[in-house]
This record gives sequence, structure tokens and C-alpha cells, in this order.
Amino acid sequence: MFDPYYLQQLAIGLSLGMTYALMAIGFTLIFGVLNVVNFAHGEIYTLGAFAGLVLISATAPPIVAVILGALAIGALAGFSLERIAFKPFRRFTDEASLKSRAMRESTLLSSLAVSIVVREALEIVFGSQMRSVPFEYLINTPVRVGPVILVTGDFIIFGVAAAMLIGLQYLLTRTRVGLAIRAVSNNPLGAKYVGIDTDRTIITTFVVGSMMGAAAGILMGLYYGAVFPAMGFTPGIKAFVAMVMGGLSSIPGAVICALILGISESMATTFVSSGWSDMVAYGFLILTLIFFPNGLFGARRERV
Amino acid sequence: MNFRLLTLTTLTAAGIAGSAFAADTVKLGYQLPLTGDTAQYGQDFRKAAEIALTEFNAAGKPFKVEIVFEDSRSDAKEGTNIARKFVDDKEIVGVLGDFTSGVSMASAQVYKEAGMPQLSQTASHPDYTKVSKYQFRNIATQAQEGPYNAKWMASKGIKNVAVIAEQTDWGQSVVSGFSDAVKANGGTVAFSEFFNRGLKDYRSLISKIERAKPDAIYTGFFYEDGAQFLKQLQQLGIKTPVYSTSAAYSPKLIELAGGAAEGVHLTSNFLPTDPSPNVQHFVDEWKKRSDGAVPGQFPAQAYDAVRIMLAAVEKASPNPTREKVRDALAQTKDFPGVTGKTSFSADREAEKELVKVEVKGGAFVPVAE
Amino acid sequence: MNAFETVASADGLTRRRGLLVPALILLLVFAALPALLAGFDKGYFYQIANLALIFVLLSASMHLVTGVAGLLHLGHAAFYGVGAYTAALLTSKLGLGFTVTLPLSGLVAALVAFLVALPTMRLVSIYFAVATLAIGQMLYLVMLNWVDFTKGPNGIIVSKGFELFGISLSGRLAAYYTVAAVVTLSVVAIGRLSHSYYGNALRSIREDDQCADAMGVSTVRLKMEAFTLSAFFAGVAGSLWAHMTGYISPGDFKFSESILILAMVVVGGLGSLPGAVIGALLLILLPEGLRGLGDFRNIMVGLVMFLSILLLPKGLLGEVSALRLVRRQLGAAWRNTGKGEGIGWR
Repeated sequence: MFDPYYLQQLAIGLSLGMTYALMAIGFTLIFGVLNVVNFAHGEIYTLGAFAGLVLISATAPPIVAVILGALAIGALAGFSLERIAFKPFRRFTDEASLKSRAMRESTLLSSLAVSIVVREALEIVFGSQMRSVPFEYLINTPVRVGPVILVTGDFIIFGVAAAMLIGLQYLLTRTRVGLAIRAVSNNPLGAKYVGIDTDRTIITTFVVGSMMGAAAGILMGLYYGAVFPAMGFTPGIKAFVAMVMGGLSSIPGAVICALILGISESMATTFVSSGWSDMVAYGFLILTLIFFPNGLFGARRERV
Repeated sequence: MNFRLLTLTTLTAAGIAGSAFAADTVKLGYQLPLTGDTAQYGQDFRKAAEIALTEFNAAGKPFKVEIVFEDSRSDAKEGTNIARKFVDDKEIVGVLGDFTSGVSMASAQVYKEAGMPQLSQTASHPDYTKVSKYQFRNIATQAQEGPYNAKWMASKGIKNVAVIAEQTDWGQSVVSGFSDAVKANGGTVAFSEFFNRGLKDYRSLISKIERAKPDAIYTGFFYEDGAQFLKQLQQLGIKTPVYSTSAAYSPKLIELAGGAAEGVHLTSNFLPTDPSPNVQHFVDEWKKRSDGAVPGQFPAQAYDAVRIMLAAVEKASPNPTREKVRDALAQTKDFPGVTGKTSFSADREAEKELVKVEVKGGAFVPVAE
Repeated sequence: MNAFETVASADGLTRRRGLLVPALILLLVFAALPALLAGFDKGYFYQIANLALIFVLLSASMHLVTGVAGLLHLGHAAFYGVGAYTAALLTSKLGLGFTVTLPLSGLVAALVAFLVALPTMRLVSIYFAVATLAIGQMLYLVMLNWVDFTKGPNGIIVSKGFELFGISLSGRLAAYYTVAAVVTLSVVAIGRLSHSYYGNALRSIREDDQCADAMGVSTVRLKMEAFTLSAFFAGVAGSLWAHMTGYISPGDFKFSESILILAMVVVGGLGSLPGAVIGALLLILLPEGLRGLGDFRNIMVGLVMFLSILLLPKGLLGEVSALRLVRRQLGAAWRNTGKGEGIGWR
């Protein structure tokens, strides 16, 4: 049981899971409020990474400044995304539109369209090849912890994810803004009637969520040392899966499920070929959904 | 809605109308991924093709050649559409491309039906040249590279090898070409495994490899996955020697992997340090158009493919037809390319010379024999 | 006014108008377009026409699940792939012809859909969507990694073209007619399914499935059926693709294809079959038509998608909303009282 090989695989799985969790946190926050899948979250992640890269090549500032820069770009991108792709669909307030599923699906498509445009634009501007990050900035120097080898990046990511979680919990439970966010995610119309500025709340949620997405992007870029326009696609899918598995509105749930996904993927390579390891992760998802139809930590389904 | 329809119709009509052209120009088609996930390869091919084309048209031949580039995004749907488009254009007598074997195979079905010679610079599917007599390729297949690498490793005393490759038809051919050769030389394959292309995190796979304690690792990947693999190999502190194929031969591998690429052994057909004049000319032209960057194996392959096709067109002229170009291609013997002398065998495979290369001091250095 | 609407027609004129548009479409697909294609005689146009038709079928089959039953389906391309692989394997290993592989591809895809859907049918909305994503990905991984059976990434060459009971139909025009006939029949079938009491039952699941359950509509059974039926038609589309292209590989059926089909259904108008058809035509013909733009082609497609959903959020040809239908039916009750007010809801 304490075979160092399995411990190493476990450690790898945990670190992989943390990378998925980083992305899942922002994704879940946005979904919780608007109840729409944000297809463009992966692109915000990519934008954060590219912003960091551009900053590094332009002025080579210290690493904290790079991350802050990426956060700023993420906030800006989140704001623009909300204004461009999500706001125009809130202009309909007649009954038929509110009940219409088609309207909700249309925000899905608009975010998808925006994600396509952003990705193609990044490809045209930066080229679709993988770009390297200068080695001084990389956070993957190996660190030996007992029989297991981790990298500095693992600790940084763990720290950042924990900070995000704690920060979000504080924000959501102890501040007025958080209260407004929770109110809007529970019942948008009701929140409006009691005087909460739903528009501003939604914008705030998007900005915070996108900042987290961009932070995830730049950290991943520094962790793997590779930045390219299509890098947001797979993490986006994993974040989506983690979010649903965890129960839609629970951010800690999404993090735990992201960890489960990471561990299952990495442990699976022990027993099956690496190509099949994704299969194990998806199998876990289906199993979870069979026994927990509302996700692991999801609330029981209310009468809508 | 109406405006959109109008724009669409106008654009389509313009596209159709634009294909008429003056005589004394021979046209070739080139299908390659100019956008999408593999666009960096397609853009490189286009650059190399333009270098070859400019030289050819400036050399005072009795006719000019024009290449029509079309973007296939490495998608079979688009590839087959483009193939039909090229086939419809009566002035196109030969086609180059595609990048991935999958799209090349799908387009090959169209070219087979239409009798259009198709030369791919990189398609590696084992059945590609078997589709019909119109399919050619100028890249050494893994059926050649595998045994070459196996012999090299055997000569270094390596007995037990772990093989990993990407899960594509090329990766499949890497594993089969190499494993059979290793066993024939008396070695053993510790295990062989496929990973999904684009995987970012190889650490669990690397732990698995380490557990099997092989003498060396043979890898079938392209530079993007290769760089990640090598970096993580270094992170986990593994010192097992790594051997790879010519697909990893790209300056970007060293750029992305940095010190982790040190000591990697691989094969190549192309060495930018080769003093021969045609190689140096290509490298200079490439550097001019790429801010001083040195070309890797793939652009060199494209450059040679275009030049082989141009030579065939010249041989088949005046009045080159698709049949004549095909026959001229089939007769290519000892073509002096930058990737070595190329000849097409009876089954239209390229017979090429391979070179052993090692990464030393942050650069590709030919291994002294 | 929806062309297929014959339910709420108050006068015979509407009913006759309801037949005119389908007749025109049939004329276009089976007479006008082939004449044009034969006139130009360019393989490229035939190819695009066939490709567009195949995606019309895919989009229409997805419409059954996502548009009518309201279940977001993120794994449709995988069943397309199952159908294509069935056709390819039957042809290459058993030498069977198109006449046999066509129905078999549909049936195998439907069977696979039934089996994988069994554990997940109780799920709702986004959970169901993620389950379909997982199913689609798992099927794709099987296609890619089970090398012994599906030849994995090497793909399969399909050496036989279209035929009917031995008569070869592989000439260009014949191939077009085959594809057009299969697609038209399938679309008509899907249309009949969705504009019927069965379709209404599916729509009730979309509108409010808890309510439908309470009313006695067996939502789980209906979901299974819709899912399986859509997979059947996707499988049929797969066999069309396999025999038309002559070579298939797992990369033709990855997740991004599912997203493309979803985009077609939503752009056209969720819930509307003509919309799904138009969405498919738009997203296949537009990238081809914009080839002149070179590397900017895909940005343009994205922009067109975005603008179309922005300006027409219910899609290009949105479904007639239930409210409007009811209002028209009970038109008499909404007469103005003469004092300038209307009775009833607006």
C-alpha cells in the first residue's frame, strides 16, 4: 500500500486534480449565478495565459506582477464577455421568453460563437504553435517530499486554489456583494423585486469568475511552460464535468470532484494504457450521476 | 438574412469566376492546414513552398507555375471538399498534401477516382501509397526508421526498451515498425503504450515507464508533446536515455524543452548544418522569412516535395497532363533534395537516407560515426 | 407561419398553403438542384451538396432530442461515428453492400444509444447534458483505442459506394439522388414524429418535466425513445458518410463535431425543424463560400453565428411559440370589447 509508486501516482493525481479545480472554481461561480454554461471560460483562461506571456516578453516584471497583469486582463475580458454575449439576452422580459428554453440555449450559442472568434483571433495574432515561457518564470522545479517528487508549482497552485476557495466563501457569506450574488443565483426576478441591482451583481460575478479563470490560465502556462491558443479547450471540459459532478451550485463540491477526476485519471494509467485513462474518469462521472442524480453535493431538486 | 444570402452568393460567384487564367502557367494544388490546431505546420509548409516556387519561376523555364493553397484544417470534411475542387479545376495537374494521414487518405479516395497525382510531404499511414498508383510520399516511413533506430540502439548495447507513441496512425506505425525490429535484433520491449495526442501531463505515464526499468525509452511524438514529456521526465529525475523519430526534429523542441532536451537521440533526413549549397540556400531563404529561425525537418520535407513535383511537371512538359505528371513523378530517381537523395520505389515510397542526431549543448548535432 | 402546421388551421386556405412549401422544397431538392449540379458538372458542388444533406440529417436528428424534447445532447457525433463504423466494418469485413449497411448502421447506433442511455435516463437538464458528453467521449475513445476491432486511428477504407440491391449507384448524380432520398425520407419521418401527439408529449418534457410526470406522461420512457430515435438517424447519416467518402477515421467524430451540430440546431432555431435544416445548410455552406477570405474564414463564421443569434435569438426560423398557437386557436375570445381594450392575456 505504501509502495512509493502508488504514492507517486496519487501525488500526481492530486496535483493534476488541483489544476482542474483552479478552472472549475471560476466556472462554477458563473454557472451558479446565471444558470448558463459559459463556453467562453476556456478562452478567458487562454487570454490570461497570453496576457502573462506578453507581459513577460515586453517588460520582464517579477512573477507577482505577471499574475496581477493576467488577473487584470481576466477581469476586463470577463466584463466584455458579459456585455457582449450575455447581456443582450436579458433584454426580453416577457413571459414567453422567460419560460422559453430557446432563450437560454441562445446564450450558450452566443458564448460559443464568442469563444470561436476569440480563439481564431488569437491564432491569427500569435500563431497556433505552442509558445514557450522563459525559464526564469517557470514554477516547475522539482521538490522531493519523502519518496514522492512534486514540483514547486504544485504547492503554489494548491495555495492559490485554497486562497480562492476561502476568499470566495468569505465573499459569498460575509459581504453584501456576496449576499446579492447568492440572491440572484437563487431567484433573479425575486432579487430584482427586492431592489438588488441584478445587472451589477451579474457583472461582478463575471468579473470575479473570469479573474479566477485567467489566474488559472497564467498559472497553468507557467506550470507546463507551454502557451497556445487552443489550450483552454480540454481544461474547460474537465471543469464543466467537475462542476456537474459536484452538484451545480457547490464550489467546494466542484473542487473535490476535480480532485477525484485527477486521481482517477492518474491511477488509471497504472492499470490501463494512458489512452484509456480518460475513459475511467468519464466512467466515474457516470457512476456518480447514477447514484447521485444531482451531483455529489448538489441540492435536491426544487420545484422550478 | 437577405443581405447575408446576397453576400454569400456574391462571394461564391467570385470564387468560381476567379479560376480562369492565362496560358503558359501550370497550376498545382496544395491542401494543408492553414488554420486550426495544426496550423503551425501548414503555415510552415506554405512558406517552404513559396521559397521553392519563387526559385523555380525565376529560373527562366519556358513556363510559370502557380500553386493554389487551400486550408483543410486537418479535417476530413474540408479535405475532401478541397480535393473535389482541385479535381474540378482542369488546369491543376498535380496536388501536394495533406499534413495528417487521415485527411490525406480521405482525399486520396477522390484523387484515385480522378486520376490526379498526389504527393504528400508527411502522410505516414501504412496504406496510403496502396490506395492507387496516384499516391506518392517523400517521407521515410516508420517501416524504415524503426529498424534504423533499433539497430542504432542495439549497437549501443541497449536491450530492454519501453516504447510510447501518440495514438494516431503514425504512432501505430512507430510502435509496430520499431518493436518488430527490436525483437529481431534480440532485444525486448518492456512495454508499449499509446497516449492521446495533446496530453499535457505525462507524469503518470513516466512513473509507469520508470517502474518497468527499461534501458532506454523510444518515443513517437511531435515536438509539442515531446517537449512536455522531456520536461516532466527531468522533473521526476529520470535519467533513462530517450530516442525518438525524425518527427521530433524541430528547433522548437529545444526551445520548449530547454535543458530537458539535452541528450535526446533522434534520426533525421535534414541537417541545417549540412554544408551542401542547396541546403544552405534553403536555410538562408528560410531564415530571411522567419526572423532568423532555423528550419526543422517538416518544412524541409515540404520544400523537397514541392521541388520534386516541379521537376516532374518540367519533365512532363510541354502540355503536362495529370497522367504525364504521375509518370514523371514515378520516375524520380536520386533527386537532390535538402532531405537527402530521394527516389520513388515501385510502390511510390521514398527511399531516403537517414542521419543520426543528438541534442548537445542546446543544438542538434550529428552523431559522429 | 410554420409550413408544417396543419393543426390549428381555421380555414382550408391555410391547409392548402401548408402543402405548397413542402412541394416546392421537394421540387428544389429532386429537380432544380440536380439540374443545376448536372449543368455545372463540378465534383466540388456535388460534394458540398451531399455533405450539406448529411449534416441536415444530423441536425434534424439532434433537433428531435434537443429541440423537441429539450434535452441538451453533447455526444451526438459519437452515434454518427458508430453508424459510420458499422457501415465500414460490415463492408470491409463482410463485403455487404449499402442496401444492408444503411438500415443496420441506424439499428446498431440505436442499440448502442439504448444501452448507454439506460443508466442515465433519470437525469435532468444539465446533468443529462454532461452524461451525454461523457457517453460521447467514451464512444470516441473506444473508436480510437480499440485497435483490434476498429483499427483505431488507422481508420477504415470503405471500398463500396452506394448501391441498391446490387445496382451500383455510384455515379455522381445517382449518389446525389441516393443521399437526397435517404435524407428527405428521414427528415419527413422526423417531421411527422415531432408534429404529432408524440411530439407534443416530447415538448411537454421540455416545457416542464415535473408537470408532465405528474400528468402521467412517462418522461423516462419518452426520453429513452427520443434519444434512441435520434441515434438511429445519426447512424444512418454515418453510413451515408462512410460510403460517400470511402475512408473514415475516429477524428471525424470527435467532440467538436457534436458542438458543431448543436450550433446548427440552435442557430436555426431551437424547436423548429426547418430551422435545424437551415442551420445545417448555413454552417456547412458558409465556411466553403468564405474560402476566399483565407485565414479569416473562421472568424467570419464565428461572427456570423454570433450576429445571427444576437439579432434573432430564437434562431433563424424560431418555433411558433405555444402561446401564440393557443391564442390563434381561441381567437374568438380575444376580440376587442369595442372600448379599445383586449380581453385575455397578451
